[in-house]
Amino acid sequence: MSSSDLLDDRRSGSEAPRAERSVSPASDRRSGVHRRGLRFLWARRSVVVRLAAWSVLETGQTFLTGYALARALDAGFLAGRVGVGLGWLGAAAVAVVVGAYGTGRVYGAVAALVEPLRDRLVRNVVERGVRDADRGALSRLTQQVEIARDTFAGLVMVSRSFVFTAAGALIGLFSLAPLLVLVVAPPLFAGLALFALTLRPLTRRQEAFLVADEDLAAQLGAVCPALRDITAAGAEEQVAADVSARIAAEQRAARSLARWGVLRVVSLAIGGQLPIVLLLATAPWLLAHGVTPGALVGALAYVTQSLLPALQNLIHGLGTSGSRLAVVLRRLTPDAPAPATAPIRNSAPPSAVAHSAPPPAVALSSVTFAYGPSSEPVIEGLDLLIPHGTHLAIVGPSGIGKSTLTALMAGLLEPTRGSIDVRPVPGHPATPTRVLIPQEAYVFTGTLAENLGHLRPAPVPEAELLAAAEAVGLTALLDRLGGPTASVDPGALSAGERQLIALTRAYLAHAPLALLDEATCHLDPEAEDRAERAFARRSGTLVVVAHRVSSALRADRVLVMDGRRTAYGSHGELLERSPLYRDLVGTWQPAGKAPADRLPGTSQPALALRDADGVDAVAGPGLPRDRRHVVAYGPVGQMKAPGDLRHGGALGGE
Amino acid sequence: MSLTAPRSYGSGRFPTPRGEGPPGVLHGGALLRAATRHSGVRCVTLGLLTTAATAASLLLPAALGRTLDVLLTDPSRATRWVLYCTALVLALAVLDACETVLGATTNARATAWLRERLTGHVLGVGPRAAGRFRPGELVARLVGNAAQAGTAPAGLAGVLAALAAPVGAVVALWLINPWLALVFLGGAPVVAAVLRAFTINSSECVARYQDAQGRIAGALSEAIGGARTIAAGGTADKEVARILRPLPELSREGHRMWRVQGRAAAQAVAVAPLLQIAVLATAGLLIAQHRLSIGELLAASRYAVLATGVGILVGRLGGLVEARASGRRLGAMLDEPAATYGKRHLPPGQGRLELCEVTVRRAGRTVLDGVDLVVPGGTTLAVVGRSGTGKSLLAAVAGRLADPDSGEVLLDGVPLRELDRRELRRAIGYAFERPALLGDTIEDTIGFGHPPPPPDRIRAAARTARADDFVHRLPRGFATPCAEAPLSGGESQRLGLARAFARGGRLLILDDALSSLDTVTEHRVTEALFRHTPGGSRLVVAHRASTAARADTVAWLDGGRVRAVGRHAELWEVAEYRRVFGGGAAPYEGDAPPGGEQSGGSR
Repeated sequence: MSSSDLLDDRRSGSEAPRAERSVSPASDRRSGVHRRGLRFLWARRSVVVRLAAWSVLETGQTFLTGYALARALDAGFLAGRVGVGLGWLGAAAVAVVVGAYGTGRVYGAVAALVEPLRDRLVRNVVERGVRDADRGALSRLTQQVEIARDTFAGLVMVSRSFVFTAAGALIGLFSLAPLLVLVVAPPLFAGLALFALTLRPLTRRQEAFLVADEDLAAQLGAVCPALRDITAAGAEEQVAADVSARIAAEQRAARSLARWGVLRVVSLAIGGQLPIVLLLATAPWLLAHGVTPGALVGALAYVTQSLLPALQNLIHGLGTSGSRLAVVLRRLTPDAPAPATAPIRNSAPPSAVAHSAPPPAVALSSVTFAYGPSSEPVIEGLDLLIPHGTHLAIVGPSGIGKSTLTALMAGLLEPTRGSIDVRPVPGHPATPTRVLIPQEAYVFTGTLAENLGHLRPAPVPEAELLAAAEAVGLTALLDRLGGPTASVDPGALSAGERQLIALTRAYLAHAPLALLDEATCHLDPEAEDRAERAFARRSGTLVVVAHRVSSALRADRVLVMDGRRTAYGSHGELLERSPLYRDLVGTWQPAGKAPADRLPGTSQPALALRDADGVDAVAGPGLPRDRRHVVAYGPVGQMKAPGDLRHGGALGGE
Repeated sequence: MSLTAPRSYGSGRFPTPRGEGPPGVLHGGALLRAATRHSGVRCVTLGLLTTAATAASLLLPAALGRTLDVLLTDPSRATRWVLYCTALVLALAVLDACETVLGATTNARATAWLRERLTGHVLGVGPRAAGRFRPGELVARLVGNAAQAGTAPAGLAGVLAALAAPVGAVVALWLINPWLALVFLGGAPVVAAVLRAFTINSSECVARYQDAQGRIAGALSEAIGGARTIAAGGTADKEVARILRPLPELSREGHRMWRVQGRAAAQAVAVAPLLQIAVLATAGLLIAQHRLSIGELLAASRYAVLATGVGILVGRLGGLVEARASGRRLGAMLDEPAATYGKRHLPPGQGRLELCEVTVRRAGRTVLDGVDLVVPGGTTLAVVGRSGTGKSLLAAVAGRLADPDSGEVLLDGVPLRELDRRELRRAIGYAFERPALLGDTIEDTIGFGHPPPPPDRIRAAARTARADDFVHRLPRGFATPCAEAPLSGGESQRLGLARAFARGGRLLILDDALSSLDTVTEHRVTEALFRHTPGGSRLVVAHRASTAARADTVAWLDGGRVRAVGRHAELWEVAEYRRVFGGGAAPYEGDAPPGGEQSGGSR
């Protein structure tokens, strides 16, 4: 099983279909985990063999537990030959030490099984976390992976120990007298069989308990941060009743699990304790058939000292860790394919683009987008052609769908209907077609050069890097941090500094289409001006979700998004034509002569278009398929005034 | 469920009230005793069961040995002894089964009782509990510590039996032959000393392992934050490779941990068998001298094993100690007393709010200092002021989410303290800057509270809060489960507003609840709220000048005192008042700080 078994990585093109991909009921998934587990072990045959080899030392120790005792009695102490007796016991003591050494080495072999599993789970969790932008990945990484590691190790230790101990004991019994095996083995196997039969219902109850426990924790996790709101709403009883119901459910699950625990005790009694009784009951017959007193003592030692504890460990270990492992593994390696991001469609290879009139850089035709099949569309029937070299600003109230539109243009979302074409620039076929800089700037712990060259296939030459920093306005920060090779701690940077780094990185990507989704919202107006102008000076097309009215003023063209209408034109045109634009620009007079509007600050108002918290969950990667991430934004709506949006060269081309 | 963490009132922890003695100790012990009493009959039964099981397990080796001797010397008399042994084995199995079920159910019962009790208390304490413990801490205590503490009653019941087993085994060895006990007792310290000498400190490689894991988690966390950038840049593979760079080190340290553990285990597993062999050798020598029978040797070997069960006792005691520590942590949660309410009801009124000489201290600092304020019925009062002047605390006190240290708050002439709880909550609605939203669906979320408002009122409230637009765009509209709809700050703020509007009431308190709305939306919401909903009053903590401008009156809070009360237009003449809204210093008008780094701060 390679890691691509666990991950459906469409983007890198490994479309290998998996057998278990179809939606499968829980039982199938359970067997899926088993099957994968067996494959995992098969791939590590040599480690399994090593594990077995070291475990054989324990078998030897077990063997001597009874055999040496029997010989010490029969040939030694009972025969009056103390030396022989002590010799045999000495041999058993040596076997104990050797067996202990083997146990120590067994841990090494277990590590060779467990650590690769852990590596794989970590890799898997990280890959899914990066692609799904799922915060839950962090707890999976630090907690669930560790649970899987520990329970898997426990499981291997316990089952291995049982197999080799039982083998040693049975061989020992056979060597003492074959008849003893006849007495001990049947109840032992009967107990094992009963345990095997109860394993599945037991596991189900163990899972039910874990689920109930997690439910309760999730409920409390929601309630505890909400105490203020609960008190304010007077909902104490309501919430207490909800929590009580979950506490009671957890208790019920625990009780049910406890009752099934009786079956474990029964299995243990049959497999481990019944042989003692049987040995005693058949003792006269055994003694009559040549079994020596020493052999009888040895047989009892095998049963009480070796088989009983090993069986006990097996039953308790398999019952709890086994089901925990199964639960955790199922969570960590879901069968459902990880949501993949929309494939990036780059139409028309560069050669097809002739030297005639420059084609539009971005063409949206009848684009409709909704977050669910039955929900109202965020964007409906939008036609938009953006020629090469245009500087477009998008404005509108928060939540109206501006980020959704940029995500569509960036290929992060796929339109429900209609098509979006982004064309590469002639002569630069190798560079990425577009680059999106979202509001939340991504800066990672690493060197500044690493951060800035993030979108480039190879390291960026320092001269180019410094030039870009100068153009965007990063030089001061770059000098303060200590040059390109300095390491960056994102937490120590201000939001504005992080945005500068992200902007410089995007600048260095040389993408013909740059999408700035409020990417300058933490910069002061001068810094914003400098950065935006740097992007505008490039040869490519620039789309800016405007944060301040100055952004709209700088642009060739402005797209105003509203729930009911979409307007398109230059700043001046829109001031005349679009009441919303006038509102957003802040020149309207509210119905109440409020003196606030005479504020000195209003000459340069923020459009206040964003959610101030910056908690903009929209359009994480993989959104189209993952309903957990759905965030609705307002619709652009039907184009009521299609004249606002003229097609073709009339737009921004002048 | 999608939640944002609420802001605690004021800064720092609440002082421990009437704190005599170390907090939590008294309550912790009392709590565990109460939990034990709650399961009293079960605990006594469990104690009897475990004692009986221990007695049976101590009798069994002797019976086995005796049976073997009889079998070897006079098989005809053996049947009786075999039956004795069978009965003992059977009794052991039955007792074990009862103990398993009873022990586990007692644990579950005690845990549930503790959780029930503490959740009720935490809900009764309300926001003050969140001021004392971080929410995650509360969850950890209610889930983890309660489960641990819940094992205390059963653990206590079993500890006597766990002590009796090894002691009884040594005594039995002595009774068989004092030499056997002497050899065992002589050997045990030697072995223990050897063990301790070889105890390997694995903490170093554990620390390095966790460090590597932490670096991976840190990089992953950053990458999740930058998911849009990564997806748009198509650099996921590169990022994964970069994040996983510490993986080989993690693996190396992981292997090392197992090796260290293996060495420790190797020594541990050798101890008991070696001791046992020493006892057996002694018994063998005694047999050779005809001072011991073969059955007694068998019994001695079993007792030697039982006597090494000291480890079990240590484990049990350790569990009890941990349970006690957990009980103490739980007890600390009871230190903060639950809020008490009166029985009075409100006369008819329009929600006239009066604050008389209200003083509130937090962590030794006077946050509100003798505040006198009146919101006449049916009007809107805006509270403005720089960050840290106690605006949020004022909002909390005005609706009894916190009590003043001195002074009184009255609603339509009735002191809030004397009001019946339901009456109080029905009368006063709250919306917050960062509402914590509870409820399975969007509709439940808006209708949260008791009693739930009718559906049409929920829709109307959503419209007023301008939340209906984005709700309609969710996959299942109002029926969309919250888990499927992560909300932006502005969206959850609008749902929080809708929740407050749906509840109605004669006083509405908006604690900076409009900060994440864009100016147009904010204007529409306040317009609908201030002008078109008569019959109640409103207290609005505001950061934007435009909000203050639309209120009937503005209270300007400065350093915990009311600096001035008046109309916004009048106050605006004062330069310092203008600076409260950032004046010309901020590049844009009174906008809330992005990223939420400054909670409750104006600029």
